[in-house]
Amino acid sequence: MRTILILIKKEFLQVFRNPLLLSILVVAPMVEFMIFPFCADYEIKVLNIAFIDNDRSQISKDIIHSFNSSEIFVSKGLLTSKKDADEKMKHDKIDLLVEFPSHFEEALYKNEPTVIAVTANAINSVKAGISTGYVQEIIGGYMQDFAAAHTPSNMSAAMAQQASMQSNNASFSQGEERRRSNSTTVMPEQTITPPMPIHISISNIYWYNEQMNYKNLIVPGILVILVTLIGCYVTALNLVREKEIGTIEQVNVTPIRRWQFLLGKMIPFWLLGMAEFGAGLIIMKFVFGISVQGSLPLLLGITAIYLLVMLGLGFFISSVSENQLQSMFIVLFLFIVFVLLSGVFTPTEGMPGWAHKINYLNPMSFYIEVIKKIILKGSEFESVMKETIVLSVMAVIINTGAVLSYREASK
Amino acid sequence: MSAISIRGVNKTYDGKVVALKDIHLEVEEGEVFGLVGPDGAGKSTLFNILTTLLLPDAGDIRIFQMDVIQNYKAVRQIIGYLPGTFSLYPDLSVQENLDFFAVMYKSSIEENMNIIEPIWKQISPFKDRKAGKLSGGMKQKLALCCALIHRPRILFLDEPTTGVDPVSRKEFWDILKSIRQHGITVVVSTPYMDEATRCDRIALIQNGEIIGVNPPQTIIQNFKGHLYTFKSDDIFSLLQVMEQCPLRCNYYPYGEHCHVAFYEDMETAMPQFERFLDEHQQPHSKITAIQPSVEDCFIEIVKGPISN
Repeated sequence: MRTILILIKKEFLQVFRNPLLLSILVVAPMVEFMIFPFCADYEIKVLNIAFIDNDRSQISKDIIHSFNSSEIFVSKGLLTSKKDADEKMKHDKIDLLVEFPSHFEEALYKNEPTVIAVTANAINSVKAGISTGYVQEIIGGYMQDFAAAHTPSNMSAAMAQQASMQSNNASFSQGEERRRSNSTTVMPEQTITPPMPIHISISNIYWYNEQMNYKNLIVPGILVILVTLIGCYVTALNLVREKEIGTIEQVNVTPIRRWQFLLGKMIPFWLLGMAEFGAGLIIMKFVFGISVQGSLPLLLGITAIYLLVMLGLGFFISSVSENQLQSMFIVLFLFIVFVLLSGVFTPTEGMPGWAHKINYLNPMSFYIEVIKKIILKGSEFESVMKETIVLSVMAVIINTGAVLSYREASK
Repeated sequence: MSAISIRGVNKTYDGKVVALKDIHLEVEEGEVFGLVGPDGAGKSTLFNILTTLLLPDAGDIRIFQMDVIQNYKAVRQIIGYLPGTFSLYPDLSVQENLDFFAVMYKSSIEENMNIIEPIWKQISPFKDRKAGKLSGGMKQKLALCCALIHRPRILFLDEPTTGVDPVSRKEFWDILKSIRQHGITVVVSTPYMDEATRCDRIALIQNGEIIGVNPPQTIIQNFKGHLYTFKSDDIFSLLQVMEQCPLRCNYYPYGEHCHVAFYEDMETAMPQFERFLDEHQQPHSKITAIQPSVEDCFIEIVKGPISN
């Protein structure tokens, strides 16, 4: 017991005397935590839009006007030619181009098919998809109002149906810079759903994230990344450093047992990880206004288990590597795989089957599930039991591996 | 009673590099035993095996009758080890390092103060300084304290004086002598032949083989040649000329002198040799006979009497 206590004391002394390690442990994660959630954001807040109006009718003017009343769209005015628009999009002056054909109004009144072309810069395909959706929503809304106001109700359906639109993505002549060529990815033709003949309005309610606030998803995700980094990175570097400076030999010639040595290293970093997690929860509440919906002890308990998995992994890596550089590369590789597969940033539902299978070995994917369920949904133990069991089994296996792979005498 | 008994130890790295070949050694309790040999001779490998850090390929090693492989836990309790490179925690203070290793060995500083006192007196003024900030000699003394803190029965020192200045080296050997008074067996390796004379017995090791175990005096008595020394202004050209020397001799630069060990009847050989040097226009100081050092003996053992 006295042995383990002095090991813990030694580890804390070293951590608090190492300004670099201390800042890696405390400052860096906290700063990242305060900055990342504001940046890692799929919400689109500003879209620069321009118009080519070949019709110059009242309806086309009204539609253009309706964009101005939206907070997202910033109108860059009317353009005269497609060429001009191309140029502007190339220089990122505009994100979207809406083009009205000539005789647009006429066609509407005559009940003939007509097309509004929506061109989007699809270098960022997510942004392009979302923004054309916004355009359709606005034009669709206008057409609905238009149909209701200007024609007898039986006419409205037929009229509106004709106003089908085609949105296509920007296509540019070949041989242009590569960045542009990305944007030629042709999105499938989207035909707007005609306004309903009988007015049915659909209202969406997003459970567990009512404002569809992206931060609610990203903040817990970043919390997971931080806990993982502390657990895995710092420990992976710590033990291998003792190898590098030779202290491990000096410790190995003492009669201390290897599980004592590893425990003496684990406890300090486990405590630091838990403290870090606690600080993360506090920031989450006071900076982002996200409070834990479920049981806090349950959350802390599962985090404790997850940290054990990560600490064990870190020690395993450092006992099989020769120097800090090697262990850093291994951690970095695993970390990227863990993050990309875990569903922190992208939903796992879209992943192929083999990725799901790999995820059975990915502790982070289980932990992010737990975090989302407890923090956002307020889930009880029953619904996170599977994850808890899996993480516990992982903790036992990886720590056994770490103790066994730590060799006191080399061959 | 024999403190260490080594029988038939072999060690090969990666199946290719032979580090130790069939080593047999007995170290008596209470002696200062030196392992002398050039870099790469296998000294550190043997030390790592003796201190339970490395497993031998074959052979039987007992420390106070305990097998170092089967009984390594018990062995670790009775040995102290000072590795060749400084390996204490540089970011912990002198006092904290000592406390740490005392607890690791389930011992306490007070308990064994009488052993480390002569050393501790020298480093205690710096006890709050970080170990990494100490001077080379101080680091070595601290490491020695840490290795002695549990009153080991055997102390292993792997090249403790490599890279240490001559004054500190002398001090260090004086400390080893005082340690020995506590009945601690000391096994020390060194590449410095002059230090070997301070040991009770030395083993000469070369290319992984022990080529002789004796007290230093015996080794010197066993020197077979007649050793002479002289000075030359141009050692380089002298050594080139010596290649054509018709006498049976070993020659090698020794500091700014040249040592020549003859295996001839000196009454006839000496005039012959002086004539040889004159013929080849090698100006030199007076050629004087000297007592061989351990280094001379080592060279003789390694090279054997050579005839040109």
